[in-house]
Amino acid sequence: MTVLEFNQVNKTFGSGHKKVDALKSTDFHAEQGEMIAVIGPSGSGKSTFLTIAGGLLSPSNGEVIINNENITALNEKERSKIRLKEIGFILQASNLVPFLTVDKQMKLLDKVKKNNMNKEEVEQLYKDLGIGDLRNKYPSDLSGGERQRVAIAKALYSNPSIVLADEPTASLDSDRAYEVMGLLKEETKNKKTTTIVVTHDTRLIDYCDKVYKMVDGVLEQQK
Amino acid sequence: MFLAWNEIQKNKLRFVLIIGVLMLVAYLVFFLSGLANGLASLNREAVDKWEASAVVLTEESDKSLVASSLTIDEAEAVEADETAVLGQINAIARNDDQKANVSIFGIREDEFIMPEVTEGKAFAGENEVIASDTLKEDGFALGDVVELSSTEEKLEIVGFTEDARFNAAPVLYGDLATFQRVKFGEAAEANGDQINGLVLRTDDVSAATDKDELEAIEVETFIENLPGYTAQSLTLNFMIYFLFVISSVIVAIFLYVLTVQKISMFGVMKAQGVPSGYLARSVIAQTFILALIGVAVGLALTLITGLFLPAAVPVAFDIPTMLIYGAVLVVVAIAGAVFSVLTIVKIDPLKAIGG
Ligand SMILES: Nc1ncnc2c1ncn2[C@@H]1O[C@H](COP(=O)(O)OP(=O)(O)OP(=O)(O)O)[C@@H](O)[C@H]1O
Ligand SMILES: [Mg+2]
Repeated sequence: MTVLEFNQVNKTFGSGHKKVDALKSTDFHAEQGEMIAVIGPSGSGKSTFLTIAGGLLSPSNGEVIINNENITALNEKERSKIRLKEIGFILQASNLVPFLTVDKQMKLLDKVKKNNMNKEEVEQLYKDLGIGDLRNKYPSDLSGGERQRVAIAKALYSNPSIVLADEPTASLDSDRAYEVMGLLKEETKNKKTTTIVVTHDTRLIDYCDKVYKMVDGVLEQQK
Repeated sequence: MFLAWNEIQKNKLRFVLIIGVLMLVAYLVFFLSGLANGLASLNREAVDKWEASAVVLTEESDKSLVASSLTIDEAEAVEADETAVLGQINAIARNDDQKANVSIFGIREDEFIMPEVTEGKAFAGENEVIASDTLKEDGFALGDVVELSSTEEKLEIVGFTEDARFNAAPVLYGDLATFQRVKFGEAAEANGDQINGLVLRTDDVSAATDKDELEAIEVETFIENLPGYTAQSLTLNFMIYFLFVISSVIVAIFLYVLTVQKISMFGVMKAQGVPSGYLARSVIAQTFILALIGVAVGLALTLITGLFLPAAVPVAFDIPTMLIYGAVLVVVAIAGAVFSVLTIVKIDPLKAIGG
């Protein structure tokens, strides 16, 4: 089943001689249960692609379809609902709320959304990510890698149908990076979600079913 | 509430400071309201005791009791459910070692202005008076024979009564004849029918008199025209209203600064799909918590301060008024949060991701 679909999507920033074609006209689709990697040099348009996929950025042209709904036609409020329900973001920068402990980061999602993970699932997730001992700590008391893992837990906690991860392993050592990729893969297979991972690290693409390469705004399938 | 409360717990110092500022504003508001109330009752408590609806004065007196002068016959023609004649004159009263400003009321014992005696007995004989019990604090006692500034007559305090100050002076209540002896001296007999006004209890004030020389004025208007009363209460009330505005602005600035600091955090939450409405409600809830605590502490502090104030300070705390002012403070604080709410609604979640 197709979960995410791009039809002739492009994005340009600015105008005149400052015009940047961050994403050139792109057709793309992702199926349920797929783990997809997007690699490419810095500034090639990977984050642009990912934020459009997550409904955070509106494309200049074309349409984005998430679970049969054309989100380009929606307003911000409706798109926010889709994000909440369907999408788990793991952002390039930390996406934790500074004044909430690890446990409460999850609890916040309970306040605004139903059908999140239950107790046992969360315990298992904490264990898999190695953050079980950190549950009562604030983000400021965590290392960069720990924060990244908590951010991953937060993205998966809401049982999204699409997980979008921008450099999720950037601040992890390679052992941890492999573990996290393994975990994301496992979640993708077990929960039949779709995961798109943007990464620089070409060693991690072994975990993925499909690999796309982004060069100057052009997305090309490699595997 | 969840976000609001957790943030307060994490950043205690920051929020204690905000609460502190709100508390000081509330303290000032409550104190001024106590002062306004105290000064007002200094002027009007004797009038409030009448539970009257209107006062009839002469047209030419321009709503001033002292300046009004009419005869009992004229007063008798006034139509009302209940009436009470009133003569009034200001004087300085002196016993052996104390002096005090007083207001002398000439009344009839069987009419409703007659005060309730809380100590001693009611006036019966010549030149006997019931005095305001605040005179006790000024060094006057039962049985004192007081001299008056303007006349040879001496008055004997035979009883005391509560809440009896008129235009900032304690009242001495005596019968009409006593009042007239004080006012007219030798000519008292000849002026035996002179009074200053007639106090009414009636449903229809406008129907009380149709004479051109007389004017029936509502009690509230009568009080507002007491010398100095309106200027005083306007000043204090303006200060209170300004404080409402100031506290709203203070809260608005504080919250705005806090919100601007948190823009990226709000953006992250919005990126995740947390609705703007939820974030806005949490800011409102936070303001509510802060304002409520600030106002409650301010109220407690005001009442505690009240216990330690010397009797000479004319503060009188009226709890219902204070509760209303407290509620207004909370409401204006929340109004101050509106700016921040608008900021949050406008945050672009994408900015938070930063590329
Ligand atoms: N808001 C914006 N306004 C103007 N240009 C932008 C904006 N966002 C991105 N760009 C440009 O679009 C191009 C693609 O940016 P993007 O962030 O997608 O790159 P990236 O592949 O994620 O890079 P990196 O690996 O460094 O994160 C870049 O040339 C960038 O300068
Ligand atoms: Mg990027």
